[in-house]
Amino acid sequence: MTQGNTCQKEVEVLVLSGYGLNCDFETAYAFELAGAVSHRVHINSLISGDVSLADYDILVFDGGFSWGDDHGAGVLEAVRIKYNIGDGLQRFIAEGNLILGICNGFQALVNLGLLPGFDGDYETRRVALTFNDCGNFRDDWVTLLGNRRSPCVFTSGIAGLELPVRHGEGKFFASRKVIQRLIDQRQVVLQYATPTGEAAMGQFPYNPNGSVHDIAGICDATGRIFGLMPHPEAFNHWTNHPDWTWTKARLKRQGESIKAEPAPGIQVFKNAVDYIRDTGR
Amino acid sequence: MAARLELTLKPDLFDAEGAAICRKANDYFGFHIESVRTVNILTIDVDLTPGQFKAIQEEIFANPVIQIASYKPLDIDFDWIVWVGYRPGVRDNPGSTAVEAVEDLLRIRVKPHEGIYTSKRYCLKGRKLSFQDASRVARELLANDIIQQWKVFFRKDWDAAVGVGIMIPKVKLDHKPTVTVIPVDSDKALGRISKERNLALNPHDVPAIRAYFLREDVLAQRRAVELSAPTDVELEYISQARSDHCNHNTFKGLFHYRDLATGKAQEVDNLFATCIEAPTLAIKKKKPWVVSVLWDNAGVGRLNDEYYYVITGETHNSPSNMEAYGGAITGIVGVYRDPMGTGKGARLIMGMYGYCVGPRDYHGELKPRLHPRRLLDGVIEGVRDGGNKSGVPTPYGQVWFHEGYLGKCLVFVTAIGLMPARVTGTPSEEKTTSPGDLIIMCGGRVGKDGIHGVTAASEGFSAHTPAGHVQIGDPYTQKKMHDFLLEARDEGLIAFITDNGGGGLSSSIGESARFSGGCVVELDRVPLKYEGLDQWEIWVSESQERMTVAIKPEHRQRFMTLSEKHAVESTVIGRYTDSGKLHITYDGQTCAYVDLDLLTSRFPQWTFEAEWTPPEMRGLFEPVLAEPEDASRLLLDLLCRPNICSKEWIVRQYDHEVQGTSVIKPLVGKERDVNSDAVVIRPALDSFQGLATAQALLPTYSQIDTYPMVACTVDEAIRRVVAVGGDPDHVGGVDNFCWPSVQYDPLDNPDGKYKAAQLVRANWALRDVCQAYEVPLLSGKDSMYVDGHLTGPYGETHKVSALPTLQFTCTSVVEDLTQCVTMDAKFPGDLVYIVGGTRNELGASEYYEHMGYVGLQVPTLEPEVSMQCYRALNQAIKEELVASCHGVYRGGLGIHLAMVAMGRGLGMTIDLSKVPRTDAEQNHVVLYSESPGRFIVTIDPKDRSSFESVMNTLPRACIGTVSEGPDLVIHGLKGEALIRVPVSALKAAWKRPFGGLI
Repeated sequence: MTQGNTCQKEVEVLVLSGYGLNCDFETAYAFELAGAVSHRVHINSLISGDVSLADYDILVFDGGFSWGDDHGAGVLEAVRIKYNIGDGLQRFIAEGNLILGICNGFQALVNLGLLPGFDGDYETRRVALTFNDCGNFRDDWVTLLGNRRSPCVFTSGIAGLELPVRHGEGKFFASRKVIQRLIDQRQVVLQYATPTGEAAMGQFPYNPNGSVHDIAGICDATGRIFGLMPHPEAFNHWTNHPDWTWTKARLKRQGESIKAEPAPGIQVFKNAVDYIRDTGR
Repeated sequence: MAARLELTLKPDLFDAEGAAICRKANDYFGFHIESVRTVNILTIDVDLTPGQFKAIQEEIFANPVIQIASYKPLDIDFDWIVWVGYRPGVRDNPGSTAVEAVEDLLRIRVKPHEGIYTSKRYCLKGRKLSFQDASRVARELLANDIIQQWKVFFRKDWDAAVGVGIMIPKVKLDHKPTVTVIPVDSDKALGRISKERNLALNPHDVPAIRAYFLREDVLAQRRAVELSAPTDVELEYISQARSDHCNHNTFKGLFHYRDLATGKAQEVDNLFATCIEAPTLAIKKKKPWVVSVLWDNAGVGRLNDEYYYVITGETHNSPSNMEAYGGAITGIVGVYRDPMGTGKGARLIMGMYGYCVGPRDYHGELKPRLHPRRLLDGVIEGVRDGGNKSGVPTPYGQVWFHEGYLGKCLVFVTAIGLMPARVTGTPSEEKTTSPGDLIIMCGGRVGKDGIHGVTAASEGFSAHTPAGHVQIGDPYTQKKMHDFLLEARDEGLIAFITDNGGGGLSSSIGESARFSGGCVVELDRVPLKYEGLDQWEIWVSESQERMTVAIKPEHRQRFMTLSEKHAVESTVIGRYTDSGKLHITYDGQTCAYVDLDLLTSRFPQWTFEAEWTPPEMRGLFEPVLAEPEDASRLLLDLLCRPNICSKEWIVRQYDHEVQGTSVIKPLVGKERDVNSDAVVIRPALDSFQGLATAQALLPTYSQIDTYPMVACTVDEAIRRVVAVGGDPDHVGGVDNFCWPSVQYDPLDNPDGKYKAAQLVRANWALRDVCQAYEVPLLSGKDSMYVDGHLTGPYGETHKVSALPTLQFTCTSVVEDLTQCVTMDAKFPGDLVYIVGGTRNELGASEYYEHMGYVGLQVPTLEPEVSMQCYRALNQAIKEELVASCHGVYRGGLGIHLAMVAMGRGLGMTIDLSKVPRTDAEQNHVVLYSESPGRFIVTIDPKDRSSFESVMNTLPRACIGTVSEGPDLVIHGLKGEALIRVPVSALKAAWKRPFGGLI
């Protein structure tokens, strides 16, 4: 607990690790930058009961290749979680905590049925993240449009964002009915866009995977569960941006320097931490 | 009864995998497949109830949103079906994870004789496709018969009820493990057994081995453990340890070197000791940042007071040449175990790749096992899956096309790790084994796979090379082990750690036991994939994803608890002793009992004849070539040469952002598509120190002389890290030699003496340049025998040897990574400088190659001048006087001016007459000479006097400006208009050859 700030409880974040997850370090770091206390916790420590979900405010399904992505990305992670600590997870949601799924974590959330979570049903699979239309894994930076009318806690105030994508199975797919419902309920949080901020309209490489309706991230109806394919934790410093050397040179000639603390990607985590603080949980 | 579950995408969903197969079939064979639908098959050989089968289908394997699934064959339209499954014993990664998931869901244990196996059925549509076409797709695109089996079904032969049948590729070895005693009556007899058993013993070693086993004292000691003549376990151990791959006999050999021009002869004793070890140790004394070199699995340098970085590079050539995907994934996953096994263990932070292959569009008459196009696709995908699934960024790599690599391709893999400077208070780079420590094997299990991998890599590829050594790496199993071992390290549980790579337990235990002075290993405790392995096979198997760890007995319980938490298998298989003996038992019976120092002391040095014929005497000369008139078209044509053009499609398949450390990416500029000189990462997220890394390859210079080949390669790698802001006084190097066989044989290797001289000269250059630049060799490896025998049009075979090749890797620390620069010219009006001198050095250049020449005047290095330039430039970068910086590499000034302009699509106006030069008085010489030591720098005009004062009297000149206009405009030496091309056209040309690939 920080001195001089004694009335405020620390925001405790649990970042999953193990079984091929691999973004646990930088995701924990991103939450630290956002002011939280992060803990990297092995999936088996939750299952064995050594660590209890009840002690945390935010649960993160971070990126990686859980179970090697075999049998569908995020599928086996979802099976392991659902059949071992499924009840605890449902309780965690019911108690109003936050859940974030990034990339492989997003894939796990949709396979668990936590997203889209229609009508408070956090168990039914309604959407899928499947193989990119381009037929390959792809690493590139994308431009994203934020949905200002979405209830999503994590993207509050974010109108646009540039982030890296790194996946082979990021094509968002659902039936037309489900997509329409996502739109109507403002659960479509992030969409792929052109560098000038127009909707990508499926155009490669701006929409890097063929996602229906350019969907890059969705939340549940409460806005407390959020999943996205791009990696906000990989934009944790302004030197992560692909064109920072040019921006720095431009500003230098105007007698300025880059002021980007926190880095834009960190805002996603900061919003979550602020939400926990503001709701006084 | 086994069941077969078929899964496929719903019919209205796009099948990206199928579409990629159509595209490749068109690209590879030129024929049209209308569509391919992919069906994934799980053959479940587990005793389950109908309810359980239903549960695993619905809860695990079938995704209701996108898939249809059935235990009966799915009804999908086709003209041909190609079924592809693994051969018995080949690593089936998704098969293993399927078992895990089934056990988790059903709360059962799958029994040892049960299993789940994956395979695929491809439904091809195409009315014009023949059986031959479908078979060709199976054989040359979808399956590799070394690791896979396949079947083709025509529509009318398909039984919709039976489908592909139930195929269970289970290993069944009806074999009782047996130790064989091998008589050592005569050298000849032992030599014969060596051949029969594929031991690859060097004939010179045979008498030494016999002499040892015939010694009276040795015989007496052996009698005490009920042994007499050597066992197969012992001879396999000696063979592995003495192989060139493990023991570097060539680099430690004695070379009788003769210069045929001067007649001067000299003895060169031990290239490793004189050209690598001695200079590096001398430099280490001067450079306190060099922490640990030359003894461990990787070298260690200091990043800052808290962290060390760890680096090494490897090759995986022979396996990749036969099974590109399996070889390459095993290569990258394998090299990742080296940092994990360095000091007390490092966390992986970066990987790199280098591929040397035949021309992608090769259509000559020789028949390599895999066409270069397929081979390259396979290695790219292998490193992609191995790197990405390990969670390690792969931001840097290179590709070199040349027909010499048709015989055997080169697959370089490089790994960097990070470890805290201290682990529970002790220096992290130190480790040792002590008597009483437990020997633990962690990770994967042991099977027949990989047996004799080391000895096969030590021979040229021929029809007799056993294919059994090709494996498929399993990054998932290894990632779990990686996470586990780091946690164990941080708790201070690890006394010693090393990986099981070439030679398996034989190498890892044999080497680690030297610290304590002995060991006892109980081979019957080693967990096996299947029963029936002979003792020697367990001992030398190279089954992947295994580490050998030494721990104190009191740490056993905690270590095993952590292992279980991470779902990693760890087994105590023996203990270290100080008996002086390597002692192996099986079911309580001794099967090996050998003095540990046998391998270090008693073998004769290999010797080589080396004869150097200078290039003039080999008939090389400068071509008589007058200036081209159409200089613009020439530049465009050079930009689309395979070794120059864009290879973005490879870069984008590799995750270069994971871990959140990316600072300078592999592709930079406005459209993020032009190659950076080097990459920079921020290994410790909370610090401002960057690690700059780059690699270089210039094998083509070997055609003239390997001395400048090596000198220029090393210089290029250094220059690349300096270009982004790396400190030239903190550069570490990694050398990876790949060489054709250097042992002269009048029939098999008639130019062996020349190749040996090439190797000697290459090492001299490495020594001289590293000393001049004060670059320690943090790590290095050599892979000899880069030769292959290819069948020609009449059934004859041709020996094809690769160009002598050195890949050089450099790392450098950037004190403040916010000062890094990229290569793209930033703003119109900026001044364009060239730093470094240009000489008439077109020999073996890209330009000459384009014109069909080799030439004679190969680029030469002046390291003293270059080093001054690098230091001055580094100062200018730190003072933020440099807007962009780019080295001049392959293709010369013309190509690299184009790159700088392409970075942001800005025009440039250049005056060639201003370029600082010596003897370079023709435009094409100035534009395409590949003299090393040069950079193109752009600066803000306001910084002109500051920049010039930092560069002082060093060779540099302002040669033009970045312009508002869209064109690259170059004026010739006489002021004439020489080149005017839109920068967009330059980029289009540069992207044309591979721009369509994803």
